[in-house]
Amino acid sequence: MASISDIALVTQVAVFHNKQAFDQLVRKYQSPVRRFFLNQTLGDEQLSDDLAQETFIKAYVNISKFRGMSSFSTWLMRIAYNVFYDEKRKARSEEIETSAEDSPIANKTVGSGSSPLTSGIKMDIHAAMALLKADERTCITLQLIDGYSIDEISKITGIAENTVKSHLKRGKDKLTNYLRENGYGG
Amino acid sequence: MEDKNDMMLKQFFEQAAKQQIEDNGFTERVMINLPEVNSPVMVDSKVRRLSQLWTLFCVVVALVAFWVFSGWDIIEGLFTGGKHMLINALEVFLITAPTTEITINPWVVVLLLGFVLVFLPYQTYRKLSATL
Repeated sequence: MASISDIALVTQVAVFHNKQAFDQLVRKYQSPVRRFFLNQTLGDEQLSDDLAQETFIKAYVNISKFRGMSSFSTWLMRIAYNVFYDEKRKARSEEIETSAEDSPIANKTVGSGSSPLTSGIKMDIHAAMALLKADERTCITLQLIDGYSIDEISKITGIAENTVKSHLKRGKDKLTNYLRENGYGG
Repeated sequence: MEDKNDMMLKQFFEQAAKQQIEDNGFTERVMINLPEVNSPVMVDSKVRRLSQLWTLFCVVVALVAFWVFSGWDIIEGLFTGGKHMLINALEVFLITAPTTEITINPWVVVLLLGFVLVFLPYQTYRKLSATL
């Protein structure tokens, strides 16, 4: 269930279109949403911020559809996930059309730009993330970085719980191998 | 082995999980780009205003019709006719009223009173609280 303060803020936005209340929601959730996109795009800060902005705008426009059955953050992350996959589809179709440059999403040089996650271990995280398939990366970041349960990941991504478990298992195996090869874990 | 791997992954992602990204004007940019959406309250108030205007229009039409067709005379006639009818009905009843006694079962009276004073208010209260 959504927390009471979130519900109060969402009610203010949905009923009275109180922008101050929405401002508080954006301030509260900008960090996890932008971090989610940074991990999905392997550290592309500009693209992450654009996608995060689109996510919040979609949340604002559709806020009356939030029923409070799950937490506001789960609902918001579901929008973020859909925004990311829409962008990915769009990038893929553009890629097919032009057949020239690489997809801008999750295909960039790891750790490029001035991402807030670009120092030391953060670069390693993006390098490790680059080894994973998109769904594996989403499930891994949602569980290991954002702390969502399998049930919540299933709600966010719309992927069946068993499939989420498979993605997590495969992703963790790949990451464990990567970390061992790079001298982590003794 | 599984636990050891999990521990290693947990440690690896620990710092990333704690990472808080500074706002750095992100919220302001989002707020500037928010589209104007028609508030349900605004839409509701528009409907309410239209409904009030329609009510006002109907009242004005009714008043004009009342004045044009001498509404007061019609009402007075109705009242006078009604009064005469009531007096006539009373007269007829008094003249033709039955002289024989009607026996009333006290239990029927108790049941009727119970129905009217207890059951009906209870049901009304129940339905009202269900809808509110």
